[in-house]
Amino acid sequence: MNRARFIKELERLLLDLPAGERKEALQYYNDYFDDAGPENEAQVIRELGSPAQVAKTIREGMSENGEYTERGYEDARFRNPQEISPGYQEAPFQKRKSQDPWKLLCILLLCFLLFPIIVPIFVVLLVVALSVFIGIIGILIGAVVVAIAFPIAGIVLIGFAVYNLFLFPSVGITLGGVGCLLLSVGILIFLLAIWLCKILLPLSIRGIVSLIRYPFRKAGVLK
Amino acid sequence: MVFNTGAALLDAIVLAVVSMDAEGTYGYKITQDVRQVIEISESTLYPVLRRLLKDGCLEVYDMEYGGRNRRYYKITEAGTAQLNLYITEWQSYAAKITRIFTGRGKDE
Repeated sequence: MNRARFIKELERLLLDLPAGERKEALQYYNDYFDDAGPENEAQVIRELGSPAQVAKTIREGMSENGEYTERGYEDARFRNPQEISPGYQEAPFQKRKSQDPWKLLCILLLCFLLFPIIVPIFVVLLVVALSVFIGIIGILIGAVVVAIAFPIAGIVLIGFAVYNLFLFPSVGITLGGVGCLLLSVGILIFLLAIWLCKILLPLSIRGIVSLIRYPFRKAGVLK
Repeated sequence: MVFNTGAALLDAIVLAVVSMDAEGTYGYKITQDVRQVIEISESTLYPVLRRLLKDGCLEVYDMEYGGRNRRYYKITEAGTAQLNLYITEWQSYAAKITRIFTGRGKDE
């Protein structure tokens, strides 16, 4: 490597520095070569080492953290890398490890302490939900029964009315009217029961399922 | 060299070397002069000169020499004050070390 290549390489390595800083450094080393004279060129290059080393020295001189001694650049922070780097690597790791068991322990303790309160509350909620569900089922069964019984009773009454119409016309008309009423109410309730089955049954089942899932979702078991 | 040269001592030596020439001196000569007294790599001096410039202890000017511009370093007033401080500190430090080395207690 000769002087021209050395300077060119140094310039390339300092490209990311501010233009002023780069110019100053290059001028210094150009001057240095000039003043050393062509006869000392090889010796100067040997003494300076590689352009990379010179660039490193210039860069470190700009960082302001370390200091220069006759042994070159020294930075107190990096003097004992073995002492500093393990701390850097282990600190987050230990923190993570020590934080999780604590949190888990607190949750477990809380669960244990609140066990006599949480379980009855949960059981009561479940029973209430279940009774609401059973009530809805009961209403539906009732509606279905009414929906079947009313039209049957209505038809029977209409039959009686036709039979009585000739013996006791007033009784026959009354029975016929009640029979028609029962038939129509029965049909209405039948339609209502179908509507209830379509709307309320899936709704209540979904409600119960989500109620049972709630504590598990909170704990993060289910998403 | 057995003893380390700290940043302050290196600064003091460079300031002293530059102050020897009233007209100022240039990088190569400063390096050679400093290397007369301490072992120092040639690339170490540029950052030291740069820092002393930034701190206002040195100033630079360009003067033609042999058909090219040569950069000269000259000590400033602040640099002279700093050098005097270093010299006083050094004398006291050196005297104490010498007293210990010669085996004579300071109470003598």
